[in-house]
Amino acid sequence: MAARNSMAKDGRALLKGLAFASPFVVGLLVLYAYPILASGYYSFTDFSLFKAPRWVGFANYERMLADAKFWHALYNTLFFTFVGVPVDIAISLAGAHILNFKLRGQSLWRALVYLPSIVPVVAAGFLWRWLLNAQYGFVNEILRWFGIPQPNWLLDPSWGGIAVIIIMLWTVGGTMLIYLAALKDVPVDLYEAAELDGASHWQRFVDITWPMVSPVTLFQVIVLAIAFLQIFTQPFVLSKDPGLTTQSAVGPGDSMLTYAIYLFQNAFMFLKMGYASAMAWVMLLVTLAITLLLLWSSKKWVFYGNR
Amino acid sequence: MQPFVYGALRGGVIGMAAAMAIGLAAVPAQAQTKVTFSYLWGGAEGQALEQIISDFNASQSDIVLEGVSSPDMTKQLASMSSARGAFDISDNFAGNVAAWADQGILLPLNDYDIDLSDFPDSVMNQLTVDGQVYSMPIATHTYQLIYNKKLLDEAGVAPPTTMDELADAIKKLTKVDADGNVTQIGLGSPSLDNSIKTLGYAFGGDWNRDGKPTPTDPGAVEAVQFFYDNVIAPIGPEAYNRFVAGFGPYMSDQDPFVRGKYAMAIDGEWRAKFNQEAGMDWGVVPVPGKTADLNGATGVDASTLFIPTNAPNKEAAVVVLKYLTSPPVMEKFSHVLGNLPARKSLAESTAYNDLPHFDVWLSALTNPNTHGLPAVLYMAEYNTDLVSAFDAVAQGIQTPEAALQSVADRTASYMQ
Amino acid sequence: MATVEANRFLTRHQIGQGLRYLLAFGLAAVFVFPFIVMLLTAFKPNNEIFTAPPVLLPSRWTLEHFATALNQFPFWRYLVNTLFIAGMSVLGTLVASPLVAYSLAKLKWPGRQVVFIAVLATMMLPPQVTLIPIYMMWNGIGATDSYLPLIVPAFLGTPFFIFLIRQFLMSIPNELIEAAKMDGASELWIYWDIVLPIARPALVASAVFQFVWTWTDFLNPLIYLNDDKSYTLSIGLYSFLGAHGVQWGALMAACVLFTLPAIFIFIFGQRYFMGGIAAGALK
Repeated sequence: MAARNSMAKDGRALLKGLAFASPFVVGLLVLYAYPILASGYYSFTDFSLFKAPRWVGFANYERMLADAKFWHALYNTLFFTFVGVPVDIAISLAGAHILNFKLRGQSLWRALVYLPSIVPVVAAGFLWRWLLNAQYGFVNEILRWFGIPQPNWLLDPSWGGIAVIIIMLWTVGGTMLIYLAALKDVPVDLYEAAELDGASHWQRFVDITWPMVSPVTLFQVIVLAIAFLQIFTQPFVLSKDPGLTTQSAVGPGDSMLTYAIYLFQNAFMFLKMGYASAMAWVMLLVTLAITLLLLWSSKKWVFYGNR
Repeated sequence: MQPFVYGALRGGVIGMAAAMAIGLAAVPAQAQTKVTFSYLWGGAEGQALEQIISDFNASQSDIVLEGVSSPDMTKQLASMSSARGAFDISDNFAGNVAAWADQGILLPLNDYDIDLSDFPDSVMNQLTVDGQVYSMPIATHTYQLIYNKKLLDEAGVAPPTTMDELADAIKKLTKVDADGNVTQIGLGSPSLDNSIKTLGYAFGGDWNRDGKPTPTDPGAVEAVQFFYDNVIAPIGPEAYNRFVAGFGPYMSDQDPFVRGKYAMAIDGEWRAKFNQEAGMDWGVVPVPGKTADLNGATGVDASTLFIPTNAPNKEAAVVVLKYLTSPPVMEKFSHVLGNLPARKSLAESTAYNDLPHFDVWLSALTNPNTHGLPAVLYMAEYNTDLVSAFDAVAQGIQTPEAALQSVADRTASYMQ
Repeated sequence: MATVEANRFLTRHQIGQGLRYLLAFGLAAVFVFPFIVMLLTAFKPNNEIFTAPPVLLPSRWTLEHFATALNQFPFWRYLVNTLFIAGMSVLGTLVASPLVAYSLAKLKWPGRQVVFIAVLATMMLPPQVTLIPIYMMWNGIGATDSYLPLIVPAFLGTPFFIFLIRQFLMSIPNELIEAAKMDGASELWIYWDIVLPIARPALVASAVFQFVWTWTDFLNPLIYLNDDKSYTLSIGLYSFLGAHGVQWGALMAACVLFTLPAIFIFIFGQRYFMGGIAAGALK
């Protein structure tokens, strides 16, 4: 009797829980589960928007191995990620310390730093094209004041990628504010104790701040890595050849050709949806591998205090 | 009470009668077919087209033509994938015809009784797949060597007529100041793609032969090598690209050719109208050939009109298509845009006489050395790869031979 | 003696504080400078835009670029379109995400952990993987070229907001809910009358985030909207470049017009926004 009662109770709880969660359960099936499986299937076919899929086995994956442009795009994307994420984290942490000073107008400083993150990416792309112009741009003008050599950002293959990273870094404000919140959570008495022991600023950072914010760092590194692996709009807008109907390379020497752009080209310009789907799956595996690697490594550097 | 009810009643009856009258009057309007013309042109060209659209609407009463400017090709393509299309007629370029026809998204036009005799074969070949016509040309484009008269005179250079003279002219017209900064280059490339492809033809090469891409065709390799040796190498890729970065937008009041950033360029016929309006002193000669018989060898592109298979009103769209490609309308349109017409009969037209030097481009339409890249499936991808290769050469990343070889390696995967 | 010490300390403190302001100013300047360039270029006459080296201030202020931008693309129509999509997405997020979050935070049911892990996993998923099948799906039911593909997903709960709101709801004491249950309140009533009001900061943060995301979204409108009458500002602006070459002044003016509403919403919701960002940091 009691068992039946609890079963009925369980059943009711399940129904209730599912009912509340139902929008996402439906979303999970329709917007995630089915599409993932479908793109897995498409990746083994030859198919375009207009024609039915035709089974081709592993042909798309084999083609990828031999596709120099695929490797180039993958290399660019990994380069953006492995350079962009650490720099992003470093700038965010440094900036968060500055925002954590006891200054007047706290919310104004924060708002100014976050402002670029709400600028539509298309507008940001155009704006930065203008700023990075080797001749008329302000970035090089400022470098000139300081006597620093001025790269030809948008037409030099070794700087095109850096230009993309710079635009990504402009929206570092969000990460900075998350770090700011984390800094405010670090118990003050830890610092006071360290100060009594005569620890320097740097020591206090290494011994207290870094371990205390490390869970936030882990989360941010994962989120940023995913964002960098998916870069699309910034280089897409940055490399668009204006005023001409002819095609152009994606940045000088294809240096802005990201994985997502090449995937988009294959899907919607060359109409190779099967190949694009295979690329999407490889992207999924790469993302998964990087995420798992980060989680695995986190045991060594992430400190979960008794907070 | 009574007068009011009566009044209301009477008002109602009159109102109903009026509504019926309007309804009757509106019946013919209802019978008009709406045709949507989505075009990639914008700005002044878009306005010229809107003028032609309103001409069409004034000329007949069966069809209401509505123009929509939508300059993104990806979007154009995406909208053709839905069951009921967003437009009935649109424009594109010859390079996409084969791939799109293969996808079944272009309406075959053979059954619609269009007279093709007046259209050049070099153009129609680009629009025909297996004997079936899938698009009609509204304007064509060829490429020749334009030059800045003032800069050539200053340097004492005559407009080149041979490849050696061209190389020599580029050398004499490239200027570097005391600090090593480039201040002027001999040959500019408003579109690297068009410049180098045209040079390829001038060297007697072709980019596609017998239905196969030929990026390593001897003439093609020679052309890229010529470009590298004469344009890039003398000043170095770094200096070249730094100088190019300072160019204002193409065909704006900061146009680099008008501003004297480069003395010569291989460019299309639309420059005639633009250069004239910019008030500059300029000239044009046929692109010099490797040998005399190759002088003026160039490529021809076509701006095309097509009807997607998912067009809501195909029959009416064909009527519009015929109207737009009819001689007087084509003449007006190409003239306003400063483009070449796509009809042989219009090559003799005096309407273009007010465009200076237009005949140099116009004559290419009947030159046997004028090439058109044929309607083949892989053209979009091939062009993207060629552009990447040309860019790699201009950046000094790859040698001309290596860059073109890497394209050749990729062509194997086009056929899958 | 003591007063001298105090004074010296004060000045050192003052210098330190001054340095801190300088640092904060420098930091903010790096982020804000591009805006200033955008704004000034939009007000600069054409012949002053192309000068090398560049000059910051216009010698004459002009509104011509705004006129050009407003004339050459239907800004107001695109504004209304974008507002509509953003508004509906916000509504969808506010309806769906807190429901799911509540279920994951406060209801005990078998499978809840599985769904929560699914929420986390989908946050990591590259959108490219699902892009094509989802496009085919919408195309299959003839819904491309409508706003449905841009709006409906919000009504099915967005993983990030579910997570954000769930984290927030976890901090609500269970006793509060238990007490209401003792009083015989139904689950829906508890949700509506107790949980939602408490969750207000997280809801506002989600709403503002959703608004800004939809406002700035590029890829989805690019793929789904084909009729130029239904464009959003992102796509309108992108086409603007295609159609008119680069008229930098007009382009910057259009960018200014495009960015202003987002800034307005941001200022309006700033307090909650910051809270939302902080809550987004993994607790």
